[in-house]
Formats: sequence, structure tokens, C-alpha cells
Amino acid sequence: MRLLTHNMLSCNIKGVTNGFPLKLEADKWVTKEVDLNADFLRGIFPKIEWSALLAAARVLGFAELPEQADASMLSSDDFLRRFHHALLELHVEEGALVCPETGRKFPINKGIPNMLLHEDEV
Amino acid sequence: MSTLLQSYTPPSVSLRLRPRPSRCLRPLRFQVGRMGNSVVRAQAATEATEAATSEGLKKGIAEFYDESSGVWESVWGDHMHHGFYEPDTAASLSDHRPAQIRMIEEALSFAGVSDDPMKKPKTIVDVGCGIGGSSRYLAKKYGAQCRGITLSPVQAQRAQELAAAEGLADKVSFQVADALQQPFPDGEFDLVWSMESGEHMPDKMKFVSELARVAAPGATIIIVTWCHRDLSPSEDSLKPDEIALLNKICDAYYLPAWCSASDYVNIAKSLSLENIKTADWSDNVAPFWPAVIRSAFTWQGFTSLLRSGWKTIRGALVMPLMIEGYKKNLIKFAVITCTKPN
Repeated sequence: MRLLTHNMLSCNIKGVTNGFPLKLEADKWVTKEVDLNADFLRGIFPKIEWSALLAAARVLGFAELPEQADASMLSSDDFLRRFHHALLELHVEEGALVCPETGRKFPINKGIPNMLLHEDEV
Repeated sequence: MSTLLQSYTPPSVSLRLRPRPSRCLRPLRFQVGRMGNSVVRAQAATEATEAATSEGLKKGIAEFYDESSGVWESVWGDHMHHGFYEPDTAASLSDHRPAQIRMIEEALSFAGVSDDPMKKPKTIVDVGCGIGGSSRYLAKKYGAQCRGITLSPVQAQRAQELAAAEGLADKVSFQVADALQQPFPDGEFDLVWSMESGEHMPDKMKFVSELARVAAPGATIIIVTWCHRDLSPSEDSLKPDEIALLNKICDAYYLPAWCSASDYVNIAKSLSLENIKTADWSDNVAPFWPAVIRSAFTWQGFTSLLRSGWKTIRGALVMPLMIEGYKKNLIKFAVITCTKPN
């Protein structure tokens, strides 16, 4: 699971109002190189919840993202490289996504999050 | 020894003209026929009871696809949906992949999804993604990010492998999730895609509401699904023999409920979705099931089936019932598209 995907997932347990972002717990993660596409990064930037990306990247040991980010930074190659790395090159293989409100854990196995709810959570 | 197979008279089903989808009756008679032995009947009865609950249904669907995906893929490739053909043609196995691609393109065209770089979809959700055939195709076509959801962990894994093999791992990702509780925030996607997954949804209203919820303002929603025929104004429900036929199919494919295309249209209207359109593509998919049956009788198809499990075999045995359903104009293959208001 890349952090781009993490940035799009939320907890949908019935009654939960604050299900995003999910906290990331990572037991196993890898880096997979991907070609940098500046246009893509500039296009996706407005859709990214920055604080969620920042926190998730830190869990994976990547502390090189700025605390805050705005669109003007997209002209900096250095910023694009760091953004690209956090968003697309870090893959969580095993771990969990934790609902910020209920603490419920959604497992990540072999890179795939399992977001299925139990009967009583629906 | 008492038969584990319970047969009882189902409560009468009234299928309404108004947007309330008919419910498949709780699994009743399981017609094992000559294959009957107590083990088979026991398994069928257990499955029938399990499928009666929502957890059971999801588990049944997941297991069905966990078991069947490999067989399907080896005979049919990575798309798990009907091909779109010219009516009244006989199709051979080699025609099917182009026909399956054509199905995707016809659906996009019907919905009016734009190719224009400024207007084309940038984020797509594939609801009931199978092994990701549509996800990969759409991601490639539009250069978009695509998220697929499926109940089957085996399918999600396979979908991811195929994406990596095609160099699309940075564009598509797959999650195990329930279409009735999509794990995405509101308004996330420009294109919401459901290709032949609607049949599995026990609650059509919830299904379409979730599609609408995750659609961004102005997004396009495309549903391609099996339905039963529309009821005529004088009808309150399908005929008993029609209900009986649908029930037999339901059990084998883990289909909890059938509704009509009109029901979907009415649901979309009730959710204030716009530009609602529907078409009956039954004649365009008619060559499909005979071809699937023929493929099961090829050496590869047959041996694959034997290597798969009971659920897959049962699915295969029920295929002639699909043809019967189409011939009787009871089963319809429908496309329903709409847009989320801005």
C-alpha cells in the first residue's frame, strides 16, 4: 500500500464522524523506485491531505517532508523529489490502519488493506 | 437418515413496480438431483443457511471468487465480464477479449465520458473489481489513478500482481472492501465504475448511495449489471416460474437479489442524480453464455473446472439457466449511467 492510497482511505464504521486519516502502523515496508512525473505530482497535490501524508511518512522513517506545504513549493525539484518519494515509493507490505476515533485496526497483508467491517460495525 | 436438505414453501414474494427491489427468497430447495449424495447435500444446506445472513453472503461471494478466479483467468483472461457483440452473431473464444474490451468502451461511450485531457477522469473507483481488468484498462486509457475494491483477498492479490507486471503499480491499487461500505471519503472519484458487480449487492439502494457518495461533484457513475425484466404496469411481481428460475441462479452465483433496470433508474432519481440513462444490451451479450459453456467443454476448461472446487463447478452447472433466463426475456443485461450534480 502506497501512501497515496493511504491518503484516500477512511474508516466507515457506522457512527464514526472522524474516520480520516487512519493512523498507520507498519511492520514491514519497502521502497520501490518509480519514475518521477512532475505533472502528475502537481496535479495530485491539491487532493492530498498533507498532514496525513506527513504523519504516515514519519511512521516509515521518512522525515524529510516539510511540516506545511503549499503549491508554490511544486516548482522546487527538491520538494518534488521528496513528495514523490513519500507518495509513491514507500510501500507498506504488512501492518495496519487504525481508526482515529474507535481504534479499530484494519490489517494490511501483502500490501493490501482489508477494510471489511464486522456485522456490528455496519 | 433424515435429509439435511430442507424443502419448504417460500413466503410469496411480491415484487413491486415501485423502486423496491425484489429479494431473492432465502435459499430453499437446492436441486442436487442425480448428483445427490449426503455430503453434497450437507454442504449445500450449510451454504444455504450461511448465505442467508449478510456476513454469510459476503463470505460466500469472497470464497466463490477466491476459488473461481484462477479457472476463469486461465480460460478467459483478466476481464471477468460479458463481451459486447453484434446481435445474432455466434462468437468464438478468440473473439472474447476484444468483445470484453468493447463492453468497456461501449459503457464509457454511452455515459459520455470525455477523452479530452482537461475533462477526462483523473481518479476512478472500480467497485467489484475482480482481478482488476477494468481498473488497469481505465488507468491506462485515461492515465488516471484507479482504486479497485473486492471482497476476495485472492482477487485483490492477483489484481495487484497483474498491475505490477504491466507496470501500472503506481497507478492502480486494490483493497479488500465492501461496496456497501466503501472505505473512501465523500466525493473522491471522477468516475465511479461498477461492471457486473451490482448483482451481488443485497441492498440496491445502499449500493447506489455509496456510488453516489464517493462520486465527486460532476462525476460520472456507470453501472453495468444483470437485471430482471421491467414489470408491466399491470403487474405486481414476476411470475412464479420466473421467480423460481432466478432463485436457482441466485444460489449458485451468490446473488442476493434481483431488481429491474427501472428500479435502478428510480433509485438514482431518488438520490437526485442527474442525466440518468439506461439501455438494454441483452441482445449484445446473448452470444456470451453459449461461448462460456463451450469453453467449459474444451480440455483446458474441463480440467480447470475439475481442479477448482464445488462452488465453481456449481456455477458452471447453472450456466444453461442463464441462457434460459435470457431466452425468456426474464434476465436482462442493462447499463445505467448518471452524473453527480455539481
